[in-house]
Amino acid sequence: MITIALSKGRIFEETLPLLAAAGITPAEDPEKSRKLIIGTNRDDVRLIIVRATDVPTYVEHGAADLGVAGRDVLLEHGGDGLYQPLDLDIAKCSLMVAVREGYDYDAAVKQGARLKIATKYVKQAREHFADKGVHVDLIKLYGSMELAPLVGLADAIVDLVSTGGTLKANKLVAVEHIRDISSRLVLNQAALKLKRDRLQPMLDAFRGAIGTGR
Amino acid sequence: MRRNLLDLFARYGYELVQPPLVEYVESLFTQDDRALDLKTFKLVDELTGRQMGLRADITPQVARIDAHLLNRQGVARLCYAGSVVTTRPDGILATREPRQIGAEIYGVAGIAADVEIVELMVESLSLAGVTDLRLEIGHLGLFNALADAAGLRGELREQVFVALQQKDSPGLRELTADLSAEAAAGLLALASCYGDGGVMAEARAALPALPAVTAALDTLESLQQALAVRGIEIGFDLSELHSSYYHTGLVFNAYTPGFANAVARGGRYDSVGEKFGRSRPATGFSLDVRALTQLPFPSVKPGILAPAGDAPELVAAIRALRQQGETVIVDLGVQADEVAYDRKLQQAGDQWQVISLTMG
Repeated sequence: MITIALSKGRIFEETLPLLAAAGITPAEDPEKSRKLIIGTNRDDVRLIIVRATDVPTYVEHGAADLGVAGRDVLLEHGGDGLYQPLDLDIAKCSLMVAVREGYDYDAAVKQGARLKIATKYVKQAREHFADKGVHVDLIKLYGSMELAPLVGLADAIVDLVSTGGTLKANKLVAVEHIRDISSRLVLNQAALKLKRDRLQPMLDAFRGAIGTGR
Repeated sequence: MRRNLLDLFARYGYELVQPPLVEYVESLFTQDDRALDLKTFKLVDELTGRQMGLRADITPQVARIDAHLLNRQGVARLCYAGSVVTTRPDGILATREPRQIGAEIYGVAGIAADVEIVELMVESLSLAGVTDLRLEIGHLGLFNALADAAGLRGELREQVFVALQQKDSPGLRELTADLSAEAAAGLLALASCYGDGGVMAEARAALPALPAVTAALDTLESLQQALAVRGIEIGFDLSELHSSYYHTGLVFNAYTPGFANAVARGGRYDSVGEKFGRSRPATGFSLDVRALTQLPFPSVKPGILAPAGDAPELVAAIRALRQQGETVIVDLGVQADEVAYDRKLQQAGDQWQVISLTMG
């Protein structure tokens, strides 16, 4: 049995064509079903629906053989003990610093300054500001980060931005680009060794579907 | 199981060494081993003011024994079994106090030593009940040759090393963007060279024909052939680099279903004794017995329950039974039901007899 860990929403939808390339079709749509384990047209392949941040954990422990996780999630998790051979080039967005409209970010991030940053991505935010030589107080939030600068919880946020719609609606502006994010295929290390005969064809099919040079 | 493994090592001619649990830190590391340093718990010796460490690995200690205490000219086959303590566990769900058991050969540079070590490792695992085994070998010389040729140094070299371990091709592409096309292609090819026999041909085609690369590939191939003769099948994983800090050449890892980490690992560490004044070729493997047993308590054979008392006949009867190898538990009057027994010692006249309690 091969178990694939996916998260609902954008990653699931954009992974579907890749699964199709490997000859795998889910039996149900997770948006409609409340089941967490979803069968496929192949008896030996099943999908499990987990939170995006949990994908690396499931795969690392071998509860899933492979999964799709955003680079943001992997960088926070550390990625130790996983193989991540493929950039799937899906669910693309950017990790950005954003502030309230009218806030003078450039003046505030001078070397040696001290800022309050609200973010879900503590590790990446810490690294980013350490590289710039700026002191930051990091405030870990689990969602609705856009709110933090508006109510005075933080000076700036570090968050994923894809269209910029949420920022705009909340009168925030992106001021700094940290890195581009897309989703990676992650594999359990022992699984790739023990089930290579079944995983490798899948891997090759994914690679074929994303196109060469990746 | 520890007993059985040590007996097996003895049948191969390995001598048991028992290094101390706590030593001065200088004796615990080889070279400037930062990673091992961080994994070691430390304390200050109040007599001398020097820093001591709880060993996080036994191999450097064994290397020191080989270099100093034994100081043999020929081959030394050494084995050990003991607890090590690490500040950080070696993998998810791994214990911080593994019971390390392993075997090492010092003084032989040739592949025959590696063959013996792998054979012993496989036999040890089968003794431990691991039957469905997947063995993967790699060679650190490949990465080192490619990295040297590319002029990789310092932090970048480390980052490339980590990316390779994760087979992180996209990450590698980013990291090697500034290198020459040939060097970058070689490192990238390394990440996808894993699998069965066919990998060797693939590697020879894809990797640049540096002398060190060719030599490493030759070694891998001859190891595969030698092991095939012994009925041991192996796979290759040329980006499999993480065995330990001191490894220098061949590395091998054994995987089995149900374990997220390798169950046994080993490899060659030719310069391990250098810091202790004597650099000898060395190869060896180790495994964590505790991870393999995974039983919270050993199952006990039920014994015989005997009443407490000072009657000379009773004392003599108990002693006699114990000498026969029986487990005799004296009922001290408190919660005797919680001990495992299936027979009872009872008085019949002036004789003491063992009565079976199991229902016919």
